[in-house]
Amino acid sequence: MSRQPMRRTIRGGRPYFFDDPAIDKVLNMVVVLASEVWTLRERLMAMEAIQVTRGGLKAGEIDRFEFKPEDEANLSAQRKEYIDSLFRVLAEQVDEARRSKPAPSAAPAKAQRSKALKSKANKATARKKK
Amino acid sequence: MLELKHDLRLAKTRDEKARMNFVSGLRAHVLNDLASGMRSVYDAKVEPQFRREQKRVPKDGPEVHKAIKGNDYFKFYSTLRVTAQDMVWQSVIPPLERNRPELKQKAAKLAGKSKARGTLRLQPNFEVPRYVSAIDVHLMAGNYDGEYEKDDLAAGSLYDNGLAVFSFGLMGQNLDDIGQSIAGFIRLKYPNLQPKKILDLGCTIGHNTGSWKDHFPEAEVHGIDVAAPCLRYAHARAEAQDRTVHFHQMNAEKLDFPDASFDVVFSSMFLHEVPKKSIAKIMNEAYRVLKPGGLMLHMELPPNSQLSAYDAFYLDWDSAYNNEPFYKPFRDLRPEDLCQKAGFDPKKYVQFVIPSVGWYGEKVWREAATRPPEVDSDKTGRLTDGILWYCFGAWK
Ligand SMILES: C[S@@+](CC[C@H](N)C(=O)[O-])C[C@H]1O[C@@H](n2cnc3c(N)ncnc32)[C@H](O)[C@@H]1O
Repeated sequence: MSRQPMRRTIRGGRPYFFDDPAIDKVLNMVVVLASEVWTLRERLMAMEAIQVTRGGLKAGEIDRFEFKPEDEANLSAQRKEYIDSLFRVLAEQVDEARRSKPAPSAAPAKAQRSKALKSKANKATARKKK
Repeated sequence: MLELKHDLRLAKTRDEKARMNFVSGLRAHVLNDLASGMRSVYDAKVEPQFRREQKRVPKDGPEVHKAIKGNDYFKFYSTLRVTAQDMVWQSVIPPLERNRPELKQKAAKLAGKSKARGTLRLQPNFEVPRYVSAIDVHLMAGNYDGEYEKDDLAAGSLYDNGLAVFSFGLMGQNLDDIGQSIAGFIRLKYPNLQPKKILDLGCTIGHNTGSWKDHFPEAEVHGIDVAAPCLRYAHARAEAQDRTVHFHQMNAEKLDFPDASFDVVFSSMFLHEVPKKSIAKIMNEAYRVLKPGGLMLHMELPPNSQLSAYDAFYLDWDSAYNNEPFYKPFRDLRPEDLCQKAGFDPKKYVQFVIPSVGWYGEKVWREAATRPPEVDSDKTGRLTDGILWYCFGAWK
């Protein structure tokens, strides 16, 4: 077997408790977000502690700071990963849907998508016209 | 965060550690604070309303469940518990994914080391039972047996690291509090039991199997499981900790060991993940491979027959919402009946409630070996402060 990435979604589904499952999903996102906020705080605390021992930072230095382009690129890749993980709960529905329907071959899927987009666009213009 | 104490531990970034810390903290909050909050809401609101309407108190877990289901606090408790459970695994997968090639190398080295004393026996065309291969128990993506490459052991690492986050310290620094508390207790309580061979059923990554070797160094210790990636990991983990344990891929319903070959047959947290029909077969097999005079012992969640209605509901939560379809059906069985049906003499039935040695310390735990405490429904089998481990079994 060639190496495959580990699966990150749950077979058997997750339970929902509120009358509208959207509430459970939003709450999941909020908690993942909270976890990231905490993660940042831990990192900042580590940084501060290091700076204190080294006598590092000057006042206002962070506010004046600009990232180098390569750091900017790295940051943007990390941001994407972060956002993907924030909305992973929604990926489960997609996985489920994809499992229940055999994946159409690449070319027609593309055609279908652009068709769908077009008809959406048409509807939007239709609505505008009204 | 609890750091694993062996060479297979994953290299983690500062952020990954922080995420794990957060999830452990979240779990502790849900299982201690929110759980006790829910109990208060139940006592103050839900139960009185039930009594007003029905002129009696709820008679069992399902009645409590029905009564509390519409309550907002229950909904928040539940959805946060599901979220935390999910986040346990999600906090491990990214560092694990990155570490997979290295993990595999390390494990191969450990398994092949010259002083390796334990063994690993896998079966090429082994059939994993559907109740393992078809669901993700406790929301663990991929379950115990999922494989993503040849000779994979990622599932074992996911379980080990996940358990470290999940247990927030309550399963000991080496995740073997159950094994240490129970194996040690048995040695203290039965000094004449000098087992030559010990078997652990459904051993997963062998985290509790090794404790038997620690407490009975003279014995030959074997662990079996159906999940190959966990067994590969178990073998490497045992070697990393210099414990001699023999792991086999086997179905506990049909053991490949001769009759009367073991002095102790043990399992922990195993039976509740198996359908009723299979439990009966497993008990029969335990009886068969046990020597006359040997001890069968299962560490488990306490049965509903020994719990109050609320506590039954509390433990059954997992069955309904944590992908544990066999958990409640198991807890509805009477352990003494299970032993008797397998051929054990009812007079030789035993049951213990053993204080966690990590939580209570050596002294209390040693004292318990002379007079074990009764089932305390607030603590027995619950991952909460002051945890007690429940076990049952019989002498052959
Ligand atoms: C919750 S884990 C047990 C954990 C471990 N014994 C402990 O002390 O924490 C359940 C294990 O049972 C295994 N299992 C399930 N059905 C089995 C069977 N019929 N025979 C052997 N192992 C089985 C699963 O693969 C899984 O590793």
